[in-house]
Amino acid sequence: MKILICIKQLSDSKDISRFDAHALEEAILLKQEFENQGIDLAAVDVVTIGPLESSKIIKRAFGVGADRGYHIVTRDYEYISSFETASKLAVVAKKRSYDLILTGIMSQDLMAGQTGPMLAEMLGFPCVTNVVKTNLTLENHSIEVEQEMENGFRDCLSITLPAVLTIQAGINTPRYPTLSKMLTAGKKEIVTFNEAELFPGEAEPVRARETFVSMEYPEKTRSGHLLRGSLIDKAGELLSILQEKNLV
Amino acid sequence: MKHILVIAEIFEEMIRPVTWELVAAARRIMDLENSGLIKIITLSDDPLSLADKIAEQTGVDVIGLKIPGCMGYDSDVYKQALSWLIKNMEPSHILTAHTSQGRDFAPGLAIRLKAASISGVNKIKSDHKGLIYSRSVLSNNQNMILRPVPGIPVVLTIMPGIFKFDAHENIKKGQMDIFEAPFDFGSDSSGSICHKRIIKKACENKVLKQADIIVSAGRGIGEKENLEKIFQFAKCFSFSAVGASRPLVDTGWIGYEHQVGITGAVVTPKLYIACGISGSSQHLAGMKDTQFVVSINSNPHAPIFRHSDFCIVEDAVEFIQAFLKCKADREY
Ligand SMILES: Cc1cc2nc3c(=O)[nH]c(=O)nc-3n(C[C@H](O)[C@H](O)[C@H](O)COP(=O)(O)OP(=O)(O)OC[C@H]3O[C@@H](n4cnc5c(N)ncnc54)[C@H](O)[C@@H]3O)c2cc1C
Repeated sequence: MKILICIKQLSDSKDISRFDAHALEEAILLKQEFENQGIDLAAVDVVTIGPLESSKIIKRAFGVGADRGYHIVTRDYEYISSFETASKLAVVAKKRSYDLILTGIMSQDLMAGQTGPMLAEMLGFPCVTNVVKTNLTLENHSIEVEQEMENGFRDCLSITLPAVLTIQAGINTPRYPTLSKMLTAGKKEIVTFNEAELFPGEAEPVRARETFVSMEYPEKTRSGHLLRGSLIDKAGELLSILQEKNLV
Repeated sequence: MKHILVIAEIFEEMIRPVTWELVAAARRIMDLENSGLIKIITLSDDPLSLADKIAEQTGVDVIGLKIPGCMGYDSDVYKQALSWLIKNMEPSHILTAHTSQGRDFAPGLAIRLKAASISGVNKIKSDHKGLIYSRSVLSNNQNMILRPVPGIPVVLTIMPGIFKFDAHENIKKGQMDIFEAPFDFGSDSSGSICHKRIIKKACENKVLKQADIIVSAGRGIGEKENLEKIFQFAKCFSFSAVGASRPLVDTGWIGYEHQVGITGAVVTPKLYIACGISGSSQHLAGMKDTQFVVSINSNPHAPIFRHSDFCIVEDAVEFIQAFLKCKADREY
């Protein structure tokens, strides 16, 4: 049983994207469950795409128990479309025959939520997005999951492995790296790739299917009157406003 | 003329209202492009009555795709059936909702169709080179504008609550075509995804839904202990309730019955006070129709301020304490 988790570093805080931390935690929990069932074949690998300093989150993943790290090195924190991201991840995912691939439901910064389901399609794996619970069965080489829908509904389904799951927050509480694991993390190897190594001899490199035009600030939907003055001034003003409106 | 295809959203054999919004978005595309032919696709074991209803309500032509054994949403069925149907139609656009269903199958469908794919579209515009699409990024702080490359179709998941469908008075019912898909997903247990059952998280959020005034807490309150302050604040008002953003529920600080947002309660109180809430689109979706919104946030650039009537840049807990003091002083 091999698990791959696709993780992303945020360009501002340099932290692991929140949902990916949940995906990583879920993989570690599954690994422990395997061990409890007496199966110690579980390997938990992580892969990231980003500049050199993104290796920080791979080391962090080692610190919580990941076994191997793959790093597709880019020049900068440039904008990469989901299609390109998934295409690159697919190359690494094919290197070992993974039974389960986990991603966050979306990245915290770009919020597209496409990488996981696109990767699944490229690998020919089934995919369940928005997973809020997993339950290992090992029956028929499958896993039971709960997919969150709107209005408090959940779809309980079982999915045949190999498969891709995208993980929603709330499924678990990510642990902190332990000192002892962080110390041994330095000894674990990170396998790096650059673009040319990923797609050797390809005439047509993977190209984005959407191009970046610009960034904009969202429009205001309300007047947004800013209260001014000292803390107590503002509190007094709000109280007056609410009293005037008969709300308090 | 190229097709602009809308995938109807069906849940438990009912048409989800977001389907009408997709039609509105498709019309927007048609208007901007000055061409295009809108068609709505619905998938079901028995699509006739669904297709009939959609054609009647929208006046748009509907394709009902009959899939024996398709008893509800399934990503494999949707991707396979839709790519089979759509491949021969040469569409320019395929529109789905940015909901748990749409987000689930749209990216994979785009790969099968070798199409561009843009998720969470909140605005459709055009410039001199053609149509461009806006989507929210960086926790709703900014919009990223994207342009699909020309010559291939684009799959869009459309943010709910943005495009308004206005029903004309006398709609002429659209035409209906019913096709049968050449595959059977029925009892076939070889499918890779097996749906066991749908459950509903037990949730008693009547208090929240019926409240006149909601005081809501987000991650900005810092620690669980500060929730007490939020409850105290709420007690200043009659018919009030305490709401929360999702992370507070996820970490177990407060029960799910308090969650406001797309995966929680949709509320429309007279007054909504957001304390330490950033204003993600998922949260806004649950409270944007409030009459009057007040936000307290230490970050002057927090997105919630763009959707508030009154903005207070302060530490949420300190502000609440000051407010309680002011109120006590005036009453005295
Ligand atoms: C499919 C899906 C469904 C979701 N459904 C929901 C939903 O139903 N409801 C929901 O709420 N979220 C939902 N989310 C999560 C959503 O994307 C956001 O992550 C969440 O709303 C953020 O919560 P927040 O504003 O409390 O936290 P953050 O985004 O972390 O914001 C905290 C805010 O507090 C401010 N702050 C910090 N310190 C202070 C201080 N001392 N005083 C005052 N302010 C301070 C910060 O400036 C910031 O603006 C969903 C996400 C997904 C992917």
